[in-house]
Amino acid sequence: MSRLTSPTSSTVGQKILVACTGLLLCGFLVVHLAGNLLLFVGPEAYNAYAHKLHSYEPLVKVAEVVLFLLFASHIVLAVRLSIRNRRARGSAYAMSVSKRDDRILGVRLDYWMLPTGLVVLAFLLLHLVDFTWELRPDVTYAELEPYEKALALLTSWPTIVGYSVGTIILGAHLLHGAPSLLQTLGINHPRYNKCIKLLGGLFAVVIALGFFSLVLWANWFEHGGGHG
Amino acid sequence: MSDQRMRITLKIWRQAGPQARGEFRTYRLDDVNPHMSFLEMLDVLNERLIAQGEDPVAFDHDCREGICGMCSLMINGQAHGPLKETTTCQLHMRHFRDGDTIVVEPWRARAFPIVKDLVVDRSAFDRIMAAGGYVSVNTGNAPEANTIPVPKDTAEKALDAAQCIGCGACVAACKNASAMLFVSAKVSHLKLMPQGHPERQRRVLRMVAQMDAEGFGGCTNTSECEAACPMGISVENIARLNREYLRAELCRES
Repeated sequence: MSRLTSPTSSTVGQKILVACTGLLLCGFLVVHLAGNLLLFVGPEAYNAYAHKLHSYEPLVKVAEVVLFLLFASHIVLAVRLSIRNRRARGSAYAMSVSKRDDRILGVRLDYWMLPTGLVVLAFLLLHLVDFTWELRPDVTYAELEPYEKALALLTSWPTIVGYSVGTIILGAHLLHGAPSLLQTLGINHPRYNKCIKLLGGLFAVVIALGFFSLVLWANWFEHGGGHG
Repeated sequence: MSDQRMRITLKIWRQAGPQARGEFRTYRLDDVNPHMSFLEMLDVLNERLIAQGEDPVAFDHDCREGICGMCSLMINGQAHGPLKETTTCQLHMRHFRDGDTIVVEPWRARAFPIVKDLVVDRSAFDRIMAAGGYVSVNTGNAPEANTIPVPKDTAEKALDAAQCIGCGACVAACKNASAMLFVSAKVSHLKLMPQGHPERQRRVLRMVAQMDAEGFGGCTNTSECEAACPMGISVENIARLNREYLRAELCRES
């Protein structure tokens, strides 16, 4: 057992676990987005997908437990490391200036992983309240088919605001997170570093815009088209 | 190049001892030779302070050739000042402008406690090295240099990592005060050479454990260390350390 638990005893091991869970969560994002994009296809496709996904409930429960463990370990380890990192400085500098000259417009998204991560967590909780726990008082869930439920939620203002902010901040989190997790897993070579940076950025933008497009679509196209 | 003397205002962190409360004090120098190094400029200030009967500013220095790793200083918020791949001792006053105000602070990290003024205790690095930053060899005559062949590109990479002078700029520049660039440079340099192979698993585990015990932060891949390193050590070494660590934790034979 010590062979299994000893990696978590060091900052390097913990960081590797944050990277592993992050990578698996990226996989979840891809699958989740692919499923949700069926909203564009139409009610039949989306409802069929949703019903099929939930046709065998025990399997859904297993998936939920695994997802919960992934999220929980990613968050707990990252917060623990962040607290340690903050303590390691001791007293703050009066002046601190980056020596990096390759930052785009001087933006330091890598300094904002904890805040952006916490915003994504808030977004996730809102999303669970909306769709999984069905606790929104302003929405009548009964009798709604999955497609109608999605439209009803995506056109309500708390969801519009929360999901717009949430998806864009998720993109900011991934913009550093996606390439960073590969570095943490030891994947770094001059031959493909540029490619990693580019594909990591592209992944973040595609995921963020993909989810954000559902909010846009529900309000401007589908809603405007008279279906909602 | 202009020999015009410069007027410089210095805001220097003064702290009488490890437990004392520190503060910035302002000093004006009206006659700074632009060809002076930053440390020589501080020497001039100290001569004046001594002549006035005041306590001179304590700062670390030794070879003043950019190779010993003793000089440090956070200059206007940047480790070793504004130039890339330059130590403070090799930074010349001509890179500042006449009339500039320069803020000078010590490295700030819990693992590098302040001894006095701008001097910090970097012995945490020594303890990390003692934990595993070595190769064990039998004493006696030096073996014939070419008995163990080393591929040229491997030797180059090892030498790149071995350039680390242990100044601590990586820790100073990292928002987490992480020592990962330093430790990864040492792990890489020894791991890449055949002589370092027998101890590679023990080395990485022990050095990482000591790094954590000293209270350094963890790496968040901001690459500020690489930009601040006076020797231009690449974060590629940190990826190598991560690989070495994973390999040692998961694949070790014993």
